[in-house]
Amino acid sequence: MDFGWTAQDATYRERVRAFLERELPGDWRSIARHGPGSRQQTDFSRVFCPKLAAEGLLVPHWPREWGGGGGTVWEHFILGEEMWAAGEPRGPQYMNVNWIGPVLMQFGTEAQKARYLPPMAQGRAVWCQGFSEPGAGSDLASLRTRAVRDGDSYVINGQKIWTSYAALAETCFLLARVGTEGVGKTAIAIFLVPMDTPGIEVRAIPSLIGHGDIHEVFLTDVRVPSSARLGDEGQGWTIISAALAQERVGIPRYALAQQVLDEMVALLTERGAFGDPVTRLRAAEAALACEAARMLVYAVIDARARGLTAEAATARLAVIAADHAVNDFGMDFLPDCYHGDRHPAFLAHHERAIVTGIAAGAAEIQLNLVAQRRLSLPKGA
Amino acid sequence: MRLAHTEDQALFVAALDAILADSVSGFRAVPGWGRWEYGTALDAMLDQNGFFEAAREPTLGAVAAVELVMRLAARPVAVEGAASALLRPLLGVDLPRPLAVIDGNPGVVRFAPQARAVLWLGETLRAARLPEGAAIPGETIFAWPVGAIDPARLDWHETGADAVRARTLWQLGQAAELVGSLTGGLETVLAHVRDRQQFGRPLGAFQGVQHRLAAGAVQMDAARWLVLKAAATGAATDTLLALGQAQRAAGQMLYDLHQFMGAMGLTLEHPLHRFTYRAKMLRSVGGGAAGQMRAFADHRWGMA
Repeated sequence: MDFGWTAQDATYRERVRAFLERELPGDWRSIARHGPGSRQQTDFSRVFCPKLAAEGLLVPHWPREWGGGGGTVWEHFILGEEMWAAGEPRGPQYMNVNWIGPVLMQFGTEAQKARYLPPMAQGRAVWCQGFSEPGAGSDLASLRTRAVRDGDSYVINGQKIWTSYAALAETCFLLARVGTEGVGKTAIAIFLVPMDTPGIEVRAIPSLIGHGDIHEVFLTDVRVPSSARLGDEGQGWTIISAALAQERVGIPRYALAQQVLDEMVALLTERGAFGDPVTRLRAAEAALACEAARMLVYAVIDARARGLTAEAATARLAVIAADHAVNDFGMDFLPDCYHGDRHPAFLAHHERAIVTGIAAGAAEIQLNLVAQRRLSLPKGA
Repeated sequence: MRLAHTEDQALFVAALDAILADSVSGFRAVPGWGRWEYGTALDAMLDQNGFFEAAREPTLGAVAAVELVMRLAARPVAVEGAASALLRPLLGVDLPRPLAVIDGNPGVVRFAPQARAVLWLGETLRAARLPEGAAIPGETIFAWPVGAIDPARLDWHETGADAVRARTLWQLGQAAELVGSLTGGLETVLAHVRDRQQFGRPLGAFQGVQHRLAAGAVQMDAARWLVLKAAATGAATDTLLALGQAQRAAGQMLYDLHQFMGAMGLTLEHPLHRFTYRAKMLRSVGGGAAGQMRAFADHRWGMA
């Protein structure tokens, strides 16, 4: 066992950090304050991601055929860790890099790949994911948006909700039910839908996680050609599973949390308020939660690097705990920093932390998975 | 970063598991309903095969040593492993084992009744052989053998070992023992809730049970990884995190494990108490989780 970085990985991390140091503007924190789905950060990503692409740091893990560099699993992971620690300057484009692109490579037609992959690899594509619906959140398989075949087209009707990036995305990775017979996971298809298709209406939902970050998407007689379908009818769930496998361990949120925690401690120290044993204890507990999450995440990545599959829900739960531990520490000991706009890093972390445990698979679903996969308990009642 | 065992470590663990699967490490009620049983046969088997020497082997190292300690603590019989596997290799002299460690109150020392030598962890690390009958066996509600040692009666000598390093290794050993104890307890309870039917289904099918066991497993798995990391790096801060995490995990888990075992877990006919009452003792060492966290804060952010 070796818990140190290889020289290659250490050099790679330094390269990513140097790039961020060089390319992030002085007011980056104020931009990042608005969240990955905000107009500010999305607009920034359209400038930043092409630079990343030019540096070979946008899709280094993709095959060379599609603009990648054949990078290792650890390099891909280090890139994501550093980006999140920096406030995710890739904005919504991290999704393209991590799973939409790889899923298109696996299941897309040649025409779909040729149309969608180059803009992603160049850092100029913004997608949204049309998954959740008013009646289908954690129970995604109960979605009701329906795509009805009409000649060589599909007509889609339904509603999506909590959709990040929808107002600014050019394309939606949309899940819809097909046919009239199938239920559950068996009759779901995926459509790659241009967001300017007639019949799509997007409404921003005011939220605690930044204005313009989440949306309702109404689909009324949205007609798309059958060539917009990704994979076969009924293959949707298989593709979703593949997408989730790409994202198995989720966002390395502890990386930002740990950095913010150190800033909180520095501020408390500056104020002469970090001598209290309870404050120090709570800070250390938050740091421990970050380290615990980091180790569990690294274990999953290490398994992946060795071509193995590791249960990832354990790591995801630890990441949730870490994000909340740091956020709670800040709000308990530095409450004044959550008024006004003088501490954008704390506010940005707060808005990201309160999503943790809800987005991309609720914590309770992760607990179910740990119970069934890690502990071999019978499926819950 | 390579988090798999090396080939030698994997062979070590496989051989160890084969021995531990043997009935010599299993549960049997102790005459007089004692709360612990020393695994004399298991100890001898491991000793003869050199398992306690792992840390001396560069290809095995402290990682193999903590694997030994964790796996030992997950078995119902008690065997002294932490001091032998982690502290003994630090010494210039070849002390007989089992070892007892005085770290604070010499009136309650784990493994004192079995020990043939004692280490005294203070500003320096001292060692003494323990003549037969020199330790007075004690009574305890915890599931470790304990006894009193009168330091004044022993012939101490300085080991010359780095006392700070020794303390870190001792903390690491206790963290590994705690993770192992929690692992043994969790496995026992999992077997029960998979099997025990109530309200027409296994207890383990209820989400209220699943979620608490899953949450405990997350904390325990994190502690296990932090123990392995601390073993690999040897860093004091990593060790504080490992012990602190194990002690924090123990808090909720110990309640939940007994809760889900119900009345059966309160009996001495069932092995659960072996694991939980070891963990309850280890949970408090070094000031408990709060003690490790305070020390970690000093390392990380400077003294208050």
